Amino acid sequence: MKMEADFASADKGRGLGPRPLRQKMSRMRLNDLFAGYAFSLPSVIVLFVFTLGPALAAFYLSFFSWSLLNHMHFVGLSNFWGLLHYSVFWIAVRNSVIFACVVVPVQTAIALALAVMLNQNLPARGFFRLAFYFPSISSSAVITLIFMWMFNQLGLFNSFLSWLGLPQPDWLGSPHFALPTIMIMNIWTTSGAFMIIFLAGLQGIPMNLIEAAAVDGATSWKTFRNVTLPLLRTTMFFVVVMGVIGTLQMFDQSFIMSGGTGGPLHSTTTVVLLIYNFIFNYGNVGYGAAATVLWFIFIMGATLATNKWLGQSVEY
Amino acid sequence: MAGQHRGFFHVLSRGLYFVILVGGAVVMLIPFVWTVSTSLKPLSLSLAFPPVWWPHPFEWGNFSAVFQEVPLAHWFLNSTIVAGAVTVGNLILDSLAGYALARIDFKGRTFLYIGTLAMMMVPFQAVMLPVYLLLRQLGLLNTYWGMILPTLVSSMGIFLMRQAFLNLPQELDDAATMDGCGRLRMFWQISLPQVTPTMLTLALITFVGSWNNFLLPLLVANLPHLWTLQLGIVEFQSQYATQWPLLMACSVLITIPVAVLFLIFQRWFVRGIVMSGIK
Repeated sequence: MKMEADFASADKGRGLGPRPLRQKMSRMRLNDLFAGYAFSLPSVIVLFVFTLGPALAAFYLSFFSWSLLNHMHFVGLSNFWGLLHYSVFWIAVRNSVIFACVVVPVQTAIALALAVMLNQNLPARGFFRLAFYFPSISSSAVITLIFMWMFNQLGLFNSFLSWLGLPQPDWLGSPHFALPTIMIMNIWTTSGAFMIIFLAGLQGIPMNLIEAAAVDGATSWKTFRNVTLPLLRTTMFFVVVMGVIGTLQMFDQSFIMSGGTGGPLHSTTTVVLLIYNFIFNYGNVGYGAAATVLWFIFIMGATLATNKWLGQSVEY
Repeated sequence: MAGQHRGFFHVLSRGLYFVILVGGAVVMLIPFVWTVSTSLKPLSLSLAFPPVWWPHPFEWGNFSAVFQEVPLAHWFLNSTIVAGAVTVGNLILDSLAGYALARIDFKGRTFLYIGTLAMMMVPFQAVMLPVYLLLRQLGLLNTYWGMILPTLVSSMGIFLMRQAFLNLPQELDDAATMDGCGRLRMFWQISLPQVTPTMLTLALITFVGSWNNFLLPLLVANLPHLWTLQLGIVEFQSQYATQWPLLMACSVLITIPVAVLFLIFQRWFVRGIVMSGIK
């Protein structure tokens, strides 16, 4: 962040010149004040109306009971209380947390490994980058449909398993395999994008540090572990935070794969899908708002924890 | 001797990396190859065991059948309208705000900047319920505006544009000010042309993001004539669950625009993801 630079430039042009110049200066400052707000206000208004305002409204609504059809009435903390005693909420929390805990480490490791390999001077690098990145610009709807086709009981993946002589589970229909299918799909989709971020991070590392380690006789694994990895800390932080936020917000894939139900047997119900169903199927806005608030606080907490773990910057 | 050893292992590890990368690329591309292959098969062949990769002859009829089964052209139009409007809106509003935050010195700027950064931490899912209620209150459900307005500005976009404007030299601004050039003209004629690569990156990310958006149209568009491609294909799937060749043909058709943009502008996409990653 370039905050210091901003403050420095804010003091520019405040020098005291001869009087006419000073008048001109202050007129300019007034013009700039006007221009600054005229330029930024449209964006600020849209962000206020569609992001900040709704975020605050979620807090407000969480204290009311409302089905969209009846009158709202204030119920204090009872939405939160009810939610915490609602078993499906805990199933959703468990699913979302397990999903994040599996997907984030695996996709981060794959992305890092691919980036390190691709950072070598190998032939066809452009092609590899294209191939790995392509899934992350395809839509979640199309990718989910493709995976439903590949992972259905008679699909391509089970053909492959039967060719290997392995058992062929009912990936989409079994409560034990539905969420893992979405995990595989998510890892497959996002690893390539994170690989590109790691690749940029790797290219920012001064080569002489790596060479110095090699001259000192460090093996490539030791160089990677003790030199490259610590220097990638900022990139790692970004990748992990984006991964955590992204996985804890998972909705599209569960919704499409289960037809909106979160089934089979709630095995793919994520917190966001539950919030959706609170509004659209259970007619319980208060619970949906309370779940929104709790989940938002949880995600903030997860982000801060990641920050504590990986956040410190490295000097070199 | 030691050097020779090193060379041998070096070549070995490079060879190994290459093999792993080829394997990875195969894993990444198989679902797409299978999608295209399925889209060119008659229904009976799509369920064949062992799987057939190269149907003969190609069943091109699937593609015309999609247009008869569902109003694909209409969904295409809806997606284009929404993604196009969102892209234009973001280009104009994000660059104006990014310019103000980077180059205009005004009271309250730091506050607005920090506020914008904070908005980046609020994902759409976290506000979908109140946004839905707001759109309902404003009578914007089942309208194009309902799908456009909530994503008309992106805090990430403002941030990207601000970073781009920050890197421009101050001298040009000063010279223009001396010549009595107003802020809007300075923005439009001097600064904006210098950040066209970032504008292109922003346009691509925004367009693809909006084109692929599923949740917002799901909340807003209940009426079939407003469905976007992503919403339409999911609805199509729930009605024709076993028509996989048609569904895959539909998937191919709705991915083509994004794939074409990606192949042409690959470098800019990569740049975008890298820029949003560096803060």
